Amino acid sequence: MTTGRDISFFFSPATIALVGASPTPGKPSHVILESLKRIGYPGALYPVNPKYSAIDGLKCYSSLTEINRDIDVAIFALPAPTVIVIMERTDNVKGAIIVSAGFKETGAAGTKLEAELKEIGERKGIRIIGPNCMGIYDTVSQVDTFFTPEGRVRRPKRGVLSILTQSGSFAELIMDEMASEGIGVARIVSYGNRVDVGETDCLNFLTDDAATKVVAIYMESVDDGRRFVEVASRCTKKKPVVAVKVGKREAGIHAARSHTGAISGRYEIYRAAFKKAGIVEVNGYEGLKDACKVLNTYDLVEGNRVLIVTDGGGVGVSMADACEDFGLTVSELSEETRKRLSAKLLGFSATGNPIDLTGSVTDEDYVTALKEGLQDDFDIVIITVLWGAPEITEELTDRLKEVRDSYNKPLLICTPNSEFTRRMAQRFEENGMPVFFTPESAARAAAVLASGPLAVSLARKNEERRSAKART
Amino acid sequence: MKKEEAQKLVRNALAQGRHVLLEPEAKALVSAWGIQVPTSVRIKGVDDVAEALKAVTPPLVLKVVSQDIIHKRDVGGVITGIDDREELSKALREMKGTLAEKAPAARLEGFLLEEMIPAGIELIIGGVRDPQFGPAVMFGTGGFAVELVKDVSFRLAPLSRAEVFAMMKEVKSYPLLTGFRGSKPVDLEKLASTVLKLSEVLLELEAIKELEINPLLVCDVGAVAVDARVVLQ
Repeated sequence: MTTGRDISFFFSPATIALVGASPTPGKPSHVILESLKRIGYPGALYPVNPKYSAIDGLKCYSSLTEINRDIDVAIFALPAPTVIVIMERTDNVKGAIIVSAGFKETGAAGTKLEAELKEIGERKGIRIIGPNCMGIYDTVSQVDTFFTPEGRVRRPKRGVLSILTQSGSFAELIMDEMASEGIGVARIVSYGNRVDVGETDCLNFLTDDAATKVVAIYMESVDDGRRFVEVASRCTKKKPVVAVKVGKREAGIHAARSHTGAISGRYEIYRAAFKKAGIVEVNGYEGLKDACKVLNTYDLVEGNRVLIVTDGGGVGVSMADACEDFGLTVSELSEETRKRLSAKLLGFSATGNPIDLTGSVTDEDYVTALKEGLQDDFDIVIITVLWGAPEITEELTDRLKEVRDSYNKPLLICTPNSEFTRRMAQRFEENGMPVFFTPESAARAAAVLASGPLAVSLARKNEERRSAKART
Repeated sequence: MKKEEAQKLVRNALAQGRHVLLEPEAKALVSAWGIQVPTSVRIKGVDDVAEALKAVTPPLVLKVVSQDIIHKRDVGGVITGIDDREELSKALREMKGTLAEKAPAARLEGFLLEEMIPAGIELIIGGVRDPQFGPAVMFGTGGFAVELVKDVSFRLAPLSRAEVFAMMKEVKSYPLLTGFRGSKPVDLEKLASTVLKLSEVLLELEAIKELEINPLLVCDVGAVAVDARVVLQ
């Protein structure tokens, strides 16, 4: 096993070689070159292809050995059999990112090639990401090995979230959406067929990575279950890890002869493993996307009490429903708070939870509702802004930020996804308030903040503190 | 029974080519780790009745012991509410008759005569050994419908006491344990320690592939393994 060893050079490469570089626009290897240039990779970049002497103004080398210095990361964008031939001849490379397909996923011949690749990597001590992957998108070290053109798949700005995924298409999907919603990422790794480096090694690296504050994992399978749980347990003590397990229908682990055996399909065991490791499990693509959004901005909270402030009765009710569905508590406001609200708000505002400010709402009403509502014990606030009320202004985005900052409670925004509101959503995002376009999505994200063993243990501590106080 | 004897029991079964322990063996095994099982005596047939009744106090339940029968009830292999010698002899005759009809090919390895446990809450606790993640423990609502309702929670072993409590709370029938509509709350500590013991069995005996206690009857006398099943690798 080559796992245990350091893979940090993948995330701070001083030298990158692009093996199979091509001057032809649209070819994957050319897109990778463009990606690396566009993101502004600051290290030394070496195109390698015996057919050319220069590509896009860069000197092109005939082979890796001709570069005559150690290469931190060699990106391979070549037919699978050629990858094997070149890997066999290589002795100055630390890590390989093999984006090429044509391995295990294609059948018997590819499986054989993949076994050869694994063997070569182990024998030569070359760590491998891939094959059949997108590789790394890294806003910290400014590396982008994705062969999808920026015009098709947008790249997110820098943030504090790192994403691990086998699936390259998932990586593209989420990075495109995050980019269009203004959400940043630290590092994304797509490891495809996972011949060597997988989620466990990456997670191990991310645990001590100062640039990563949150980790999200899109998991089809795991490389070494027990080790993954160990590594993840260490990571979740430092930062939240959220995961989605896909492929839940995968059949049970064996022909069972007990009820326990019959029920314990792979998914149930994965869930157990996530719980053991303190990983916050979410459901499906949407769940992970919402979690990524909210965790990029906020830390986990201690409890699950949500305050809802809305400018529309219907959306408020559906938000309250969605919150309950996701296990959150939408408790009533205290009598005192209701009195204060009634005194300060317009007569027809509803001072329950949700606080419904109605279509006559002003920016000031939102601020008042928040300030007064937060006198009660809440952990999370969800604000819905339909933007139909004529008296609220674009300044609301900044006013809410001020309140959020002074109360230090996570504030989530729910707003419709249309032309004007999208622009406002962007302003909210720029102010560091994550925006969700449906009540379900906002509630799901709030539930992520309130979930997880980390939050549970915080809540328990808090409770102990409270009861200790009550005794004295 | 001591833990070493339990180990031996597993080795013997494997040596005989058996991958499922007989119910008395499975119960002896879990009781070696301190899990409560009903007082019982194994008998071969009618000739043993007089002697057997010295060891157990009625009311009793009679069960068939056979490696070929998975669902004993389905083939008439369980008779409950036996109060005396006469009823026991009658039950034995009746059971043999039904088995001859419903499970003619099954090898009969005798019968198990057990003291009946008072009514209580039926739970299931079990464990499986996953090839990737190793031993995992299950806790849930027990009885025959467990596969249907799947009201269960899993955790990887080894378990902490806090994890066991978290598992119990995840199950929908948890309120039944804490007292529901006037019912008496069960001893959660005792229940948790039973789950922890099952986790230990799974960790210590690597030959076990699946281990299940269903039902685990939680009642005034404790948390009792009314039926136990052990499948070996």
